[in-house]
Amino acid sequence: MALAVRDVSISFGGVVAVKGMGLDISEGEIVGLIGPNGAGKTTFINCIAGTYQPSSGTVAWQGRELRGLAPHAVIRQGVARTFQNVASLHDLTVLDIVKLGAGARGGASPRDAARAFVRGEAELEAELHEAVLGPLRLSPIAAQPIQTLSYGLRKAVDLARALASRPRLLLLDEPVAGLTAQEGRQMAGVIREVRDRTRCAVLMVEHKMDVVMSTCDRIAVMAAGAKIFEGTGAEVQADPEVRRVYLGEP
Amino acid sequence: MLLLQIATAGIATGSVYALIAIGIVLIYKCSGVVNFGQGGYVMLGAYAAYALTRLGLSPQLAAAGAVLILAAVGALTELLVLRRMLKAPVVAVMMVTLGLLILFRAVCLAIFGPDQIAFPQIFPQGAVDIAGIFITYNYVAAAVLSLVLSLAFLAFYRYTPMGLMQRAAADNSRAALAVGIHVSNQVSVAWAVSSALAGLGGVLLATLNSLSLTLSSIGLVAFPVIVLGGLTSLMGSLVAGLLLGMLEAFTDGLLTPALESFLRAHTSVYSVGALQQVVPYMLVGAMLLVRPQGIFGQRGTERV
Repeated sequence: MALAVRDVSISFGGVVAVKGMGLDISEGEIVGLIGPNGAGKTTFINCIAGTYQPSSGTVAWQGRELRGLAPHAVIRQGVARTFQNVASLHDLTVLDIVKLGAGARGGASPRDAARAFVRGEAELEAELHEAVLGPLRLSPIAAQPIQTLSYGLRKAVDLARALASRPRLLLLDEPVAGLTAQEGRQMAGVIREVRDRTRCAVLMVEHKMDVVMSTCDRIAVMAAGAKIFEGTGAEVQADPEVRRVYLGEP
Repeated sequence: MLLLQIATAGIATGSVYALIAIGIVLIYKCSGVVNFGQGGYVMLGAYAAYALTRLGLSPQLAAAGAVLILAAVGALTELLVLRRMLKAPVVAVMMVTLGLLILFRAVCLAIFGPDQIAFPQIFPQGAVDIAGIFITYNYVAAAVLSLVLSLAFLAFYRYTPMGLMQRAAADNSRAALAVGIHVSNQVSVAWAVSSALAGLGGVLLATLNSLSLTLSSIGLVAFPVIVLGGLTSLMGSLVAGLLLGMLEAFTDGLLTPALESFLRAHTSVYSVGALQQVVPYMLVGAMLLVRPQGIFGQRGTERV
């Protein structure tokens, strides 16, 4: 398994947010993580990304333990994430933010770093336009400050920033929330295209079931901090416990 | 002629003020801390250069060495003192910077004594003739060096990957952390750069005047500069530094003599004292009343 999370728990004061959670993801697989609000989905992603340090459990990524690493160190292991609420770096342009993503990947040898320095910013910008901004249709607005963009475009920029770090594991926190139906379909298409092209592993938290069903190979369901079910889209939809907890059916 | 001479002196000291103020703004943007101890780093830079010349280094090498030493002192300040106060209120951190200023003064007083010291000549002696007026190389070099370095720093901040990380950390440290920037390291870099700029400012000011503990109070002049320019604007610091330098020079060279001759003719008052030291604060008072965010600053907004 590329990602093997075992028995992860975390509490805030007396509130147990995630309890004994485990999940495996293979290379090239898109796994959906669904559940009612407050189920602990974003907290679980935060535990993988280093934003929170779980109080117990292990987060093994390609055989290496991520638990205990700071967010910037996790990114250097090839793990990138997007945010439910897009990071507010108001003064920066779209291109600046994508460059930050490219800069965060690190791991360049001194020789590569020296070569990149000599090549200069222009070549990096051209590369980012071709590999990230173009496919996400962000090239025409690359010079615009992020604060002038709509919520949907900010989401796309956040994904572009994560993709610029050339991730092997992509953690997406509600990537289509707040987008129009058309924008949501485009975003889901980009996510599948990225997976097909790079064979990266993807963990996607999302509430829009049509997007989850059409995008994910497998779906895990969380409730009250724990995993209650895992299976294909059809299996999830058919499970009575999931229907009761998530869909509110009697 | 006199006007040009006064303006040149104003540009020279003003550009050094700008250099020092840019350092204060840099730290404030990155960490929200106003470094009240900036004057201490200015003074330390000048004394470090002097000490290195006493150890046998040429004045130019000593100046470069002092800048490097101050960069290390700034980074160490952040690592050893401020990083341990991450969860302390910002006011407490500011008080610590004030404490550092007092500490630096005490150390310099203990080692070098309270007397003024003639600072070694870094730039060639003599003067350049510009349109019939003579300006010493010290003033020309201080102005050119400060302006070039200020602009080079602004370009670094704007166009390099490290500058981009600095801008992101300054914009929103939590968001910067989330996108993978080691914000603490960026704050260390800001302190190192800020202290190095202050150290260079100290060396230049000591070259223009002389070396003494009073250099530490130059930090007080830097505050009107950042209030005038806008606490978050690096370009504002540059423009306001030049503006205040000119204002001081013209107050000293024109306003004070005119005022004193008027007062002597009509009253028994003989002197108006160091009026040039008061004028920046008067201007700041007026500025705070009219445009509290400064010339280039942005009006603060808070999401509620």
